[in-house]
Amino acid sequence: MKRTLIVVMVVFLVSGMASFAGGSKEGAKPQEVGFWTLFTGGDGEFFDAMVKAFNSSQQDIVMNNQSVKWQDYYTKLTAALAAKTAPDIVIVHQSQLINYVPNNVFVPLDPYLQSVKADLADFEPKPLAACTFGGKIYAIPLDVHPLIMYYNKDLFAKAGISSVPQSWDELVKAAQSIQDSTGAIGLAVDNTTATYKAYTLTRAFMSFLMQQGVTLLNDGATKANFNNDAGVKAIQALIDTSNADKITPKGLDYDSSVSSFKLGKAGMHFNGVWATGAFEQQSGLNFGAVQFPAAFGAHAAWADSHTFAAPVQKSTNTQRLTAAASFMMWMTAHGEMWAKAGHIPTRKSVVAKPEFKSLPYRKDYAEAVKYVFAPPSTPKWGEIYDNLSDMLEAAVAKNMDAHEALSQMEQKVNDILSK
Amino acid sequence: MQSHARDIRDALLFSAPFLLVYLAFLVAPIFYGIFLSLHEWNILSGKSFVGVKNFADALRDQMFRSSFLHTCQFVLLSTPSIVVAGFCMALIVVSKSRLNKAAEALFFSPYVFSITVVGTLWGWLFQKNYGLINQVLNSFGSPGVGWLTDPVIAMGSIVVATLWWTAGFNMVLFVAGIRQIPDDIYEAAHLDGATNLQVLTRITLPLLRDTTVLVVILQIVASFKVFGQVYVMTGGGPYGTTRVLVQYVYEAAFTYFKMGYASAMSLYLFLIILAVSVLQYVAYRNRRR
Repeated sequence: MKRTLIVVMVVFLVSGMASFAGGSKEGAKPQEVGFWTLFTGGDGEFFDAMVKAFNSSQQDIVMNNQSVKWQDYYTKLTAALAAKTAPDIVIVHQSQLINYVPNNVFVPLDPYLQSVKADLADFEPKPLAACTFGGKIYAIPLDVHPLIMYYNKDLFAKAGISSVPQSWDELVKAAQSIQDSTGAIGLAVDNTTATYKAYTLTRAFMSFLMQQGVTLLNDGATKANFNNDAGVKAIQALIDTSNADKITPKGLDYDSSVSSFKLGKAGMHFNGVWATGAFEQQSGLNFGAVQFPAAFGAHAAWADSHTFAAPVQKSTNTQRLTAAASFMMWMTAHGEMWAKAGHIPTRKSVVAKPEFKSLPYRKDYAEAVKYVFAPPSTPKWGEIYDNLSDMLEAAVAKNMDAHEALSQMEQKVNDILSK
Repeated sequence: MQSHARDIRDALLFSAPFLLVYLAFLVAPIFYGIFLSLHEWNILSGKSFVGVKNFADALRDQMFRSSFLHTCQFVLLSTPSIVVAGFCMALIVVSKSRLNKAAEALFFSPYVFSITVVGTLWGWLFQKNYGLINQVLNSFGSPGVGWLTDPVIAMGSIVVATLWWTAGFNMVLFVAGIRQIPDDIYEAAHLDGATNLQVLTRITLPLLRDTTVLVVILQIVASFKVFGQVYVMTGGGPYGTTRVLVQYVYEAAFTYFKMGYASAMSLYLFLIILAVSVLQYVAYRNRRR
């Protein structure tokens, strides 16, 4: 019995050693790189497909993606950055970079981009410039997602409107004529907090200001810059949509605004490009998507941008960072896959590709990337954005006097900036 | 003496696992929070000592005051309604009806749902344009109500959702309290010809006083901490009119990166809840004597 046991054990051990003694027949293991994204739903599926394509396109790097619920994303990211336990690459909105870069939690990417011979000139200048701080590149922009206008072609035809309105007066008239002839909502813009704050109001407000050549805050972001004629025009237009002009119902929240356009019950709709995917899948919805109208003069539209950044780790690993840079360049070079989610690519070579041009709607608003502007670069932006959204919501709901609303907003913004 | 010392040692040993977790995750963070409230800290960089500046700033902050006011509105609306609802449910459950077991399950089951599920569910029921309640109203020709978009009634709608969710918990406490009342007392009362109302007001309620005080204190403390369902249903809207204090603390900490300020505001909330609970308990004890 004892001898049998010994023989069995020896056989076991020898066979075990034999399998490990094979040597590296497959060659070096690919570099594993970890990743966090905040994309869920439709966006998430498109993104995962791109990561799969990247992994199968080469043998050297394997990207391991982990999606986090977007409501929790920044809380989780901030905690991980503070503890230096974040993965190799993270997605960060461009508007959030100002909260992180000055605290030195992201790695300046220039040396790694150079080592993979990145073609930086291929990027649209504005999105890349928005990721540059103190002359160093801290993030690579994957897309730009601006505020645009969707319109229902069938309702336009019924109301006898033959061209997309350009000026604000034209837009109001078109909306009223759609309401009169079809009973649908003229302009669906969310103006109430529910699942989301009424951010569209703030985005439209900022866009209207920029179209008149006025920035929301002054240079250096120390004071409010909107309590002036340009601000009055901008806010009055928004207040009037639900009051004097009656082209937008009161108490419309984001979900209702999107649903009403989706169900063909709204003539025009302000929203970000991310809504294109959902509208495309709605059978029977005959719609068009164009750049945000230059209602107050020049073209300008609020936009944010998804960017890739590399968190600082406890010890710098050049190999992983170089692999990360490679990944970032590959993903942006294949931006036509991401454009399926509705977003605008950031590289000129991608916009020129036939695969991108054949996508419906996207090429109609791809021009918008030239007219976007970034939100003010201040760590106080989160608080200002939330407060402005509340106050614009109140101004529209209560039909406030434009000057009074602007003074209150200016006071609040200056108060936040001065602390 | 030896066995007494041994008893103490055994007691400490048996409670050590719980005590360690309790000290590490509940008590220590409270002291860390007090420490943080005296500093300015944006999580990603170093802390800088500012003394009582955060506390002074909070008192001058209009949003701190309005958020506290909204929390108080919620406490005042929810406490009587959810306590009374729990009591009524308990009366049904202890009655002789054949449905009382089913009623108990029905009344308590919402309590097992998570806060986000309850908020999302009621958020959609109350939705102005596509919610079920307004669709029913529309079928009767009514234009529908802005349950969550009208600043006057939004808080009320949140209380309704909270009542549905948590009244079952109060019911359980009241049921336990009622069942402790000896049956002989009720028998004697019926023999003496007492009406049901007299039984309720002269026997049940007075003998339930301990339970009622407990339920009210627990309800007030829970209501002061309200956040989840408000955040999910209205996001603090319309235009910030339902923003409660805990939501402001959360936003200050994680959206505006002001950890020290958020800690100071939570300390104010802690002191207020402590004061209310102590006052109640003292008042109750004095009445007993």
